[in-house]
Amino acid sequence: MLSEYLPVLLLFGLAVAFAVGSLVVSSLVGPRVPNPTKLAAYESGNIPLADVRNTRFSVKFYMVAMLFLIFDIEVVFIYPWAVVFRELGWFGLGQMALFIGILGVAFVYEIGRGGLEWD
Amino acid sequence: MSPIGPLLLATFLFCAGVYGVIARRNAVLVLISVELMLNAVNINLVTFQNLLYPGDPAVTGQMFALFIIGVAAAEVGVGLAIVFNMFRNRASVDVDDADLMRW
Amino acid sequence: MQIDFIAILPEIILTVTALLVLAADLALRGDAKQFVNPLAGLGTVAAIIATVALWGSERVTFGTMYVVDDFAVLFKLLFLGTLLAILAISWRYIAEHRFFQGEYYFLLLTSFIGMLLMPSSRDLIMLFIALETVSVPAFVMVGMRKRDLYSSESALKFFLLGVLAAALMLFGMSMVYGFAGTTDLVGIAAAISGETASVPLLLGSVMLVLVGFGFKISAVPFHFWAPDTYSGAPMPVAAMLAVASKAAGFAGLVVVAFIAFEPVADVWGPMLGVLAVLTMTVGNLIALQQRDLIRLLAYSSVAQAGYILIPFGLARTGPGAAVVNAAAIEAVVFYLIAYAVMNVGAFAVAIAVERRTGLRSIADYAGLSGRSPLLAMGMTVFLLSLGGAPLTVGLWAKFAILEAIAVDITLFGIVLAGFLVVNSVIAFFYYLKVVRTVWMDEAPAGLPQLQPGFNLSAVVVVLMVGTLVLGVLPGLVTDFSSVISIVAAG
Repeated sequence: MLSEYLPVLLLFGLAVAFAVGSLVVSSLVGPRVPNPTKLAAYESGNIPLADVRNTRFSVKFYMVAMLFLIFDIEVVFIYPWAVVFRELGWFGLGQMALFIGILGVAFVYEIGRGGLEWD
Repeated sequence: MSPIGPLLLATFLFCAGVYGVIARRNAVLVLISVELMLNAVNINLVTFQNLLYPGDPAVTGQMFALFIIGVAAAEVGVGLAIVFNMFRNRASVDVDDADLMRW
Repeated sequence: MQIDFIAILPEIILTVTALLVLAADLALRGDAKQFVNPLAGLGTVAAIIATVALWGSERVTFGTMYVVDDFAVLFKLLFLGTLLAILAISWRYIAEHRFFQGEYYFLLLTSFIGMLLMPSSRDLIMLFIALETVSVPAFVMVGMRKRDLYSSESALKFFLLGVLAAALMLFGMSMVYGFAGTTDLVGIAAAISGETASVPLLLGSVMLVLVGFGFKISAVPFHFWAPDTYSGAPMPVAAMLAVASKAAGFAGLVVVAFIAFEPVADVWGPMLGVLAVLTMTVGNLIALQQRDLIRLLAYSSVAQAGYILIPFGLARTGPGAAVVNAAAIEAVVFYLIAYAVMNVGAFAVAIAVERRTGLRSIADYAGLSGRSPLLAMGMTVFLLSLGGAPLTVGLWAKFAILEAIAVDITLFGIVLAGFLVVNSVIAFFYYLKVVRTVWMDEAPAGLPQLQPGFNLSAVVVVLMVGTLVLGVLPGLVTDFSSVISIVAAG
């Protein structure tokens, strides 16, 4: 039974070898001409103003993530429906329309109360 | 395939979750521990379904797991909102700080 | 695949009402927002009519997941009646405290939809969904006073313990599923009864499932959330948690214990009996020392949960068990109805007093008889009834439990009856203490007269009359509660 996993193991080894190999080869072969712009954290972006590690995120990020999460997860119920949707026919379609309709009401409410506005 | 492996994993996850709920003082970490417990339940259900009752046409165990995933998401949403609100009011998410009321 | 829409009509009506409330909350501005309350009330009345029409019928739908029998209809009427009373007592309270009104009523309705599902569930998945639909909106409602430290703290405690109990229950359910291969309650009973020797793992799982319901009914090892949550939550929410949510927990417990786990009743029966003794004793002893009326009501409701657990302690399996179990279920249902009538009333009076004065310690009820005779009368009747005084429904509720014990007298039953009597006497101390404060003590100077609004007065009067009329003629309810029997639908 374990032999069935041999290809996976091989693939795993191959991936590691490729990653390590390219790192080693590029560090050996590549030319090195450092200058201050290149050494900045984001080569073509803004220079960071402060240390990023200990700054706090705005709570709004979490709010948006939460709202997304709830709507995202409820969609999980569409998967089992999709599996048997031919057998359910129009009845199933109606039920799913109801389900999405109720989700839609919640979504309209969320927008109406300004849940997705950033300020 | 023997169900022992997945069931052991589920039990381990569940125990880790229980330990986290009891020992952790940070409300967010307690919440994560509860999620661990719920995922242990999901592993249990899917294992039983696939290895012990593969012939069930209603795939009960997997359906149950889907419902748990859905409800767990709602719980986390509500729970994080409560924790944030707590944090806004007293600038701490430590469970031990919630001690205004005793007896 | 056919769905019996008549059977789920009450739930559909409540769902539509909840969505309408949400829409109305978006559309209305300012003071007009309080009119979502009568909208919710209309929906509730419609749902009550739809439920009454289901009395006497027996409908099975969603496969065998969902059963509407007289047991379920009686519970649904109990929930909807409570909902109507809670809507009436929250109108002014919520409007004045500048709550999120639309959200409050939406969450309230959603929570009650879960309760309506509970007594009809005949499947572990359905029970789990119903339980969570009751709980999750309740978590939010408790924390609704966003800037209040007590409110957010009680919400956190309620939430953490709630999800922990749910997780433990789910683990038990998953093990039961692994054992039985089905989540159908009847199927589980069949699978369990096939086992001659009890498997420890199975019994452990059964206990875990019961933990989830033990949390909802605030039975003793899981009661810590109750006093803190009741005193931190907005008061109508506390009333809903103390009455409706608890009744829903008991409905689920009856269904899962007496249908699915009936073959192992000789294991969980004595355990729940011991739990009942612990619950009422601990609840009463701590209630004796409370100075805050809401906390006193909270511990009293813990103790009442102990009384209601007694019939579960009588459950047994084997020949002749059907009679005993039926009597136990009947006692539970009757006690819950009586409990709802008197406890909602007590909370209504407490809301009226707190709304006007912002005070809630027992000392602040001094001289209530002079400040508002109606409220003082109401409080007296409700508290005496909770204690089980003659001429009130509370006495008959306790009597129903004794009657269930007397169906088949065992030593354990006698012990339970003894604890019930002793605890009732202890409980009288603290109920009478409040009653004495209301009538005997001088009112502190400067407290205003109380003028409860029309809705609240109506609720207090109706429930007071109900308590007294049922105290004289308990047959009005027992005529219905004695004919019910749970339809298993396999």
